[in-house]
Amino acid sequence: MAEKQILDADDIRRAITRIAHEITERNAGVRDVALVGIRQRGVPLAMRIAAVLEEIERVRVPVGILDITLYRDDLGIRGPAPVVRATDIPFDINGRTVVLVDDVLYTGRTVRAALDALTDFGRPARIQLAVLIDRGHRELPIRADFVGKNVPTSRDERIATRLHEVDGDVEGVFIVRTAETATE
Amino acid sequence: MSAPASAATARGRRRHVLDLDDFSTQEIDEILDTAVSMKEVLGRAIKQVPTLRGKTIVNMFFEDSTRTRISFELAGKALSANVVNFTARGSSVEKGESLIDTVRTLQALGADMLVMRHSESGAPYLVAQHFHGSVINAGDGRHAHPTQALLDLFTVRQRLGRIEGLKVVIVGDILHSRVARSNLWGFTRMGASVTLCAPQTLIGPESFWKATWPDLTITSNLDECIMGADVVMTLRLQKERMEGGLIPSLREYSRFFALTAERVARAAPHCLVMHPGPMNEGVEIMPDVAVSTQSVIEEQVANGVAVRMALLYRLSGE
Amino acid sequence: MRYLIKNGSIIDPARRVATIGNVLVEDGKVVQVIDLADLTLAPEPLNEHTEVINARGAVIAPGFLDLHAHVREPGDEHKETIETAAKAAAAGGFTTLCVMPDTHPAIDCAAVARQVRDIARRRALVRIEPIGAITLGRAGQTLTEMAELVESGCVGFSDEGNTVADAAVMRNALAYAAMLDVPIMAHCEDTRLTRGWGMHDGAVSIRLGLPGYPAAAEEVIVARDIALAEMTGAHLHICHVSTAGSVALIRAAKARGVRVTAEVTPHHLTLTDQWVLGNLAAVRVEGKSLHRSGRDRAEINDEGLDLPSRLKPTLLPPYHPSTRVRPPLRTEQDVEALIEGLRDGTIDAIASDHEPQSAIDKECEYRLAAPGISSLETALGLALTLVHRGKLDLVDLVAKFTEGPATVLGRAPATLRPGSPADIVIFNPDSLWTVDPTKFFSKGRNTPLAGQQLKGQVMLTMCRGQIVFRRGNFGVGTGALQQASRLEGILGSENEE
Repeated sequence: MAEKQILDADDIRRAITRIAHEITERNAGVRDVALVGIRQRGVPLAMRIAAVLEEIERVRVPVGILDITLYRDDLGIRGPAPVVRATDIPFDINGRTVVLVDDVLYTGRTVRAALDALTDFGRPARIQLAVLIDRGHRELPIRADFVGKNVPTSRDERIATRLHEVDGDVEGVFIVRTAETATE
Repeated sequence: MSAPASAATARGRRRHVLDLDDFSTQEIDEILDTAVSMKEVLGRAIKQVPTLRGKTIVNMFFEDSTRTRISFELAGKALSANVVNFTARGSSVEKGESLIDTVRTLQALGADMLVMRHSESGAPYLVAQHFHGSVINAGDGRHAHPTQALLDLFTVRQRLGRIEGLKVVIVGDILHSRVARSNLWGFTRMGASVTLCAPQTLIGPESFWKATWPDLTITSNLDECIMGADVVMTLRLQKERMEGGLIPSLREYSRFFALTAERVARAAPHCLVMHPGPMNEGVEIMPDVAVSTQSVIEEQVANGVAVRMALLYRLSGE
Repeated sequence: MRYLIKNGSIIDPARRVATIGNVLVEDGKVVQVIDLADLTLAPEPLNEHTEVINARGAVIAPGFLDLHAHVREPGDEHKETIETAAKAAAAGGFTTLCVMPDTHPAIDCAAVARQVRDIARRRALVRIEPIGAITLGRAGQTLTEMAELVESGCVGFSDEGNTVADAAVMRNALAYAAMLDVPIMAHCEDTRLTRGWGMHDGAVSIRLGLPGYPAAAEEVIVARDIALAEMTGAHLHICHVSTAGSVALIRAAKARGVRVTAEVTPHHLTLTDQWVLGNLAAVRVEGKSLHRSGRDRAEINDEGLDLPSRLKPTLLPPYHPSTRVRPPLRTEQDVEALIEGLRDGTIDAIASDHEPQSAIDKECEYRLAAPGISSLETALGLALTLVHRGKLDLVDLVAKFTEGPATVLGRAPATLRPGSPADIVIFNPDSLWTVDPTKFFSKGRNTPLAGQQLKGQVMLTMCRGQIVFRRGNFGVGTGALQQASRLEGILGSENEE
């Protein structure tokens, strides 16, 4: 299993900073903006973006956590049901601009599930999507508004994002070549 | 010979929930973790997720139980399943149609999961041999009530933060109680120490119990065994027990085995008071104890929906 | 027709004989028994009318006598008929079947007894002997016309399935039967202690939440009936003894001279309440076996109980109705006590308690299932597990199927002595076979042994000098057994399974 690093810790930091700036530009500030991280690694990324936004805009943007397991379309196809982790959106999303945050955009199915989940919590004014990596191979008509890096991949490759909040000491994004079916 | 009613599929994933005897600590932990998330769903303005869209769950109840049936119905609906209730009084034999025929009919009608309550111990094992989908035991005779035990475990873990090392006292009509049996599996598996307390006529020989649960304590002295308990669970005393001569009178039973404020005061200060319902207030539990701050009886009911959602969800995996 | 049964191991308990030799049968009688040692001296008594049956490696014994079978006719012919029960009996090595009176109507008057004998005469391959009811309708109140029933061929009296609850009625029954010199065959169960019963009252019933049938429910009536037999001097026979306590009571009664005899079923001698637990006995969580009940934990493994060898209760799902029998399957301690009772003579006979049930009576919730095991065709194979485990001598086992039950009926034991009726069973004690109820001659397919491997099988049964059962082409030609069994699959015969 060969592993190739495509982003290191500094690259990630720069990408997040850029995404944060783009969010403020696109939305003319961050009034009414909220971030929602998709479990697992979208959550620390959302936290980091919020921290940058606070630095540049002096506003504390609310951050929510979304577990999309119950909205997946592959239950009963992909083996044992995974443990459902908590969803925590401690603010009203009605009328807000919600930026969904995830680490990798691939088929688009996770985002589709997240959109369904989010609409169960209310009716945001608009939903935008921020991802660290866009690796292509979309299966649904979904695109990201903010992208850290576009990485052309083949389907038998896997993108592994490692963030120190989740993975301890390691930090970086890697392409892993594997014989198995690629998963996000 | 019919295929064994194994609760697991060939690939090791659970297919049925017939009792807690074949649950590992890890599996119980995962279910309770998932139930936490389900509880969050139930707290939302829109208490529904699309997880089981297109699945049909039949609540097949051969014995009245409004509480458990509604709990399963709400759980199924919160997961967007089609929930159908099938209620038949009395045994299938009295009704003229055999249990197996009923199951085959429901299968032909497209049921994916059967939630069943039956007055005969072991009936879910028979059904599991003839039904192609999943079977969840919602109480069979005196034998098992695994979802009740899971919601009890969940309630205790939510309140006290752990189960391992706790002292749990179950008091009442143990002999006829499926709740007691399933909780025995659940609490002992999760590392709690369990004491059963009952008059001799409502439990039977100690050796019969210890053969299966060797670390159990069995006593008839509630005043003594309640000392320092972290959890005390009392069971419903069916009035028929008195008519059957198993206890001399409700009065005498209540004097020695009811949960009173004085008795609960002997337990640990944080001790939880539990009851699987429905209660006979004034018989096995005093009204003031049932509504005291230590009582989690209503919480048990509320948690039941989340725990059952967690189970339905897990059984829906491939 | 003449038959020369050659080179078998002849076991004749009545004569305390076990040798290798030949048996010559002619005109329904045993005419000659030749010890192999003397074979060279005598010329083979062959003529063109003689069929030679090669029994090399097999046991030749007197036909078995079953004290206790339910044949369901008249009244429940969908479960069994006298004809099908007799075929099953022949396949099980039994040449005489004593049939219980719990038919509809019950055998409680001479007319029904005569009807049973009449049907038997026309349809049955083996001898059928009715047992009369003790009370009218087996209701426990009014004594039947016992003298007339004996005159009509009844060999004993039983309300089998019901206990005569009223001790005064039982006393009168015993006293009256004593006058007729026939046994009262008692079903011992205090039904107030067994109300709503599911299975044996013990660790497994607690585990499965099934209402218990305590050992004491049997023992209190055994004790009562022994006291009444002692008082009346009557011959009391205890049906299907199932507990260690009953064995002790009977042993003590025999020691002080009470006229009491007893029978045990093959299943109570070999199976335990673990069979109701079925594959739950093999459930393991986190690498640990859950079941630590009973004495010999080391004996339980994934392959099932090592008691008896080869039998695997874990082939069954839990609560399998085939394991429901009355009295219920008991514990390992009870099984050991029953075997000891057989060995020391406390228990006189092995009786099938053949109880055929229809599928709808069994395919239901455990407690609602009709009790009983269709046991005629597995009785020998199951009982032989005791021999294979070294618990019982083969000659003693054969005696429990022949001499023992004959003694209970107060008659001279069947024997292979020249001049005796040619009721003969030939069985191979070592042939392995798998129980397949769909191949039973009995209409009752209810057995917990489906799929189990047994060692020992009846090859040929002869009743009144006629072959009434033959497995494949057993004994044909001069070849050994192996040849016969090879032919079995190719050639059929009238009695082919």
